Amino acid sequence: MKRLSRRAMLRGVASGVAVSLALPPLEAMLGARGAFADGSASGPFFGLFFWANGTPWHAGHGAEQAGHPDLWTPPSIGPGHAPSELLAPLSRHSPTVITGLTPHTDVPDSPPGQGDGHMRGFMVALTGDRPRSEGFDHPSHTLTALRPSLDQVVARDPAFYGRTPSRFRSLHVGVSEARFHDYGHWNAISYNGPGSQNLPISSVAQLHAMLFGVPADAAATLRRAHLLDAVRDDASSLRARLGSGDRQRLDEHLEHLSEIRRRLELSTGALCTAPGLPSDGDLLTRADALAQLLAVAVHCDLTRVFTFMLTSPASVHSFTDLGVPDGMHKVCHDGGWEQVRAITLQQMTCFARVLDRFAERADPGGTSLLDRGVVFGTSEYGEGFKHGNAEHPVLFAGGGAGRLARGVHARVPGGNLADAHLTALQALGLGTTEWGWNGGQTRDVVAGVLR
Amino acid sequence: MRLRIVRALCLAGLLGCEGVVDDGLAGPSDGLSPGPAASATPGPAALPRLTETQYRSTLEAMFGTDAPPTPVEPDTNPYLFFSIGAASTTLSEVGTQQYEENAHAVAAHAMDPSRRDAFLGCAPASVDDACARAFLERAGRRLYRRPLEDAERARWTEVARTLGEGDPARGLTLSLAGMLQSPNFLYRAELGHPEGPHLVLDGFEVASRLAFLMWNTSPDEALLDAAGRGDLSTPEGIYAHAAQMLDDPRTRRAVGQFFAQYLDLAALDGIARDPATYPQMTPTLARSMRTEVELVVDDLVFRREGDFRELFRTRRTFVNDELAALYGVTAEGATPITFVPVELPASGPRAGVLTLGAFLAMNAHPTETSPTLRGKYVRERILCELVPPPPPGVATQVQSADPVMPRTLRERLEEHRSNPACAACHDAIDPPGFLFEGFDSIGATRATDHGWPVDTSGALDGTPLRDGRDLGEALADDPRVSACVVRQLWRHAVGRLETRGEEPALRALHDAFVRSGHRFTELLLELAVSEAFRTASPPEEAAR
Repeated sequence: MKRLSRRAMLRGVASGVAVSLALPPLEAMLGARGAFADGSASGPFFGLFFWANGTPWHAGHGAEQAGHPDLWTPPSIGPGHAPSELLAPLSRHSPTVITGLTPHTDVPDSPPGQGDGHMRGFMVALTGDRPRSEGFDHPSHTLTALRPSLDQVVARDPAFYGRTPSRFRSLHVGVSEARFHDYGHWNAISYNGPGSQNLPISSVAQLHAMLFGVPADAAATLRRAHLLDAVRDDASSLRARLGSGDRQRLDEHLEHLSEIRRRLELSTGALCTAPGLPSDGDLLTRADALAQLLAVAVHCDLTRVFTFMLTSPASVHSFTDLGVPDGMHKVCHDGGWEQVRAITLQQMTCFARVLDRFAERADPGGTSLLDRGVVFGTSEYGEGFKHGNAEHPVLFAGGGAGRLARGVHARVPGGNLADAHLTALQALGLGTTEWGWNGGQTRDVVAGVLR
Repeated sequence: MRLRIVRALCLAGLLGCEGVVDDGLAGPSDGLSPGPAASATPGPAALPRLTETQYRSTLEAMFGTDAPPTPVEPDTNPYLFFSIGAASTTLSEVGTQQYEENAHAVAAHAMDPSRRDAFLGCAPASVDDACARAFLERAGRRLYRRPLEDAERARWTEVARTLGEGDPARGLTLSLAGMLQSPNFLYRAELGHPEGPHLVLDGFEVASRLAFLMWNTSPDEALLDAAGRGDLSTPEGIYAHAAQMLDDPRTRRAVGQFFAQYLDLAALDGIARDPATYPQMTPTLARSMRTEVELVVDDLVFRREGDFRELFRTRRTFVNDELAALYGVTAEGATPITFVPVELPASGPRAGVLTLGAFLAMNAHPTETSPTLRGKYVRERILCELVPPPPPGVATQVQSADPVMPRTLRERLEEHRSNPACAACHDAIDPPGFLFEGFDSIGATRATDHGWPVDTSGALDGTPLRDGRDLGEALADDPRVSACVVRQLWRHAVGRLETRGEEPALRALHDAFVRSGHRFTELLLELAVSEAFRTASPPEEAAR
């Protein structure tokens, strides 16, 4: 199919030709996109699954945490390992488990508080770098990322999407709305850089509408796309008055306009059968509902990158259905080991349900959608009792379109958490050879995980 | 932000640095001590995006309440204030898309054939006839909060012509949808214009600042007209308009929104309580507590125009039926949705906002109280001090109550005092927190904790106090408290933290607040006319 040049469209509009021209048929605007939607696509997708408050603590986290069994680390190493008690819910998807990792990234002492397991932990786990020290403020828990999170690194890598990004370069969902703090970075796990985050959608209906509620009137949709050029132009005099910080904020906004414009031109709704609206409910039900929609979206190539935040960093989610009345963060602090065990098992059950939705969809050739995926599962630190960063949990699910080994347990005591990030990037076939900052630099992948 | 240690409570170097630090710029005794008579240097202009409330209320004022509601990017509140989040975060891609969709939905609604003529007041025959021009001029001024520039006028006329494809109504709908998603509408560009070494806000920018401060929404036609006449170019003119604005119901709502952020009332939204421990906890109780504080503030600031410091010792409050039951007071006429004024008993344990359910419940855990959280709130929210996080590696859990040999939470917190690494900060936090031990996790009074009589004694900065009422009295007379609210209002108003150069302006505002008898409405007026509020420093580099 011939791709209609946007410049050609614009020239037409600018010269007034488009007024008399019937707008081109939708198909012409779709370009090569259709080729991916018929199920023949074989490229990998990337998912980042996050759960809060780590795992139940044990001696591996430190002397103070000793006295409890390690129910997370599988008892044996290598492929075909027996799952641990806490990983049993995931065993039907043969996840690859990496244990023993810890962030190697340095965190300055001043301003104080950055070294806190949460803040250091979730920033390093998501971005490979520490929080940005400038502007860090402990009492209001204000913090921001220094650089993009892993999902955005993938979505922006030219080797990933090439010249035909999906309609949504990335999608972001969050299940629990319990907040440790109102400030946005505690309630989002995807960042574009300092002060710029991709907030998750937690409404099932909102996600459904966004993915499948595509306007039927193609001509009107194209007018909306063209209008965005005028909106961009309209910002230029404001832009000229701004200092560099605000100019950068505005420029990111303007880049988003380009992305929205592209999305309007790529109205692929007709190619993707909208599923019914799944019902919303408790943590597991909502995780399931959001996963169903995401799986359809990935299957239709509406996106190939998503983040899935089950619970937000330092979540205060109350697992009342497990008989835990207190918020999770406090339960960890108070040393409620048995409760944290039950909560972690429940979070892994939710993770497994999310994966179910990808595993059950198959391409016409019979290949499961999950086989194409690199789903990177992680939390904010090793454990929440002392906010310990040792034994940072990392899981890989999916086959990475053939690049990812399944069912492996790789144990790297004291290993660099950044190695897991680099492994994820290479599992996606990206040419990344080094990763990590501020003491966490690496050129190594975790051995035995890539095929 | 610069941090300065006000009281070094720590053994620096040995344990890492713990201590109560203050953000800055304040003196140790009153938060805004008289300093050298330096003249204020303006801080940089912020570029806040409209908050969700500001965006929605602006659309509502222009297009009516039946305009389609659609989701927008949630606000965030670093340093407590949505304005600071709006000025420091970057709009996400989803948020951009939502603005785009809203713009078309709202424009289509306004220009629907059934109401278009009423909305326009005329019927456009072309995209540049008198009717169309007047419409773009009016909508543009209202949305951009200033008259359109020539290039903008030409742009939106051209859009209407090109994309309307011969249908002027369709073209104008698209122009409106364009303006509704333009950064000129979505960001508050109160940036100022060069005048001497500083930038000075012009009349329209002042109108915008005033409207967002006083009403938390965009300026209306009358205020824009005033700016156009030059009324807002002098302090006298600004004062006259600001004083009029005080009587507007929108000001009461906006002041309520400021207090809700300053007092962190949103922290009540997520609280959960163990039903077994607290059968009195209902799904509506936290909401009732929030409403109570909102009514107390409104009564004090607007109905009585009272002394702000009364907030910490007044026995006058407003209760519905469940709060009356919680406090054990009779409240004739109170229902689940009717709040009635009551005078709390003079002999009772409650007086002042810190003895009401909101503060007590939001600073407690689902199963037990938290003197630490309560003390921290007093330090950070009420005194504007900064409490550092626990040093790395210390145990932060409090021992669980032993079922066989139970001890009070207060006893269990003794660890905070015996361990020097903890004591450095907890000596400042826990003693004011202990004063509220007579109130449980939902704010009900209690005589025992785990079977032992509660001890409500405590202290503030070494001064022994008997209970929360005592603390309220002490805080009401503490100049740090009034200086703190001035500082917080400033942050809220300008959308960023204060700079060192602005300290003289903050001191002057505090002095004026004190002179007015701590009338909050007077503080608003002083702020509105202050030079610091109308000037800015130039951006650090010219944009290209």
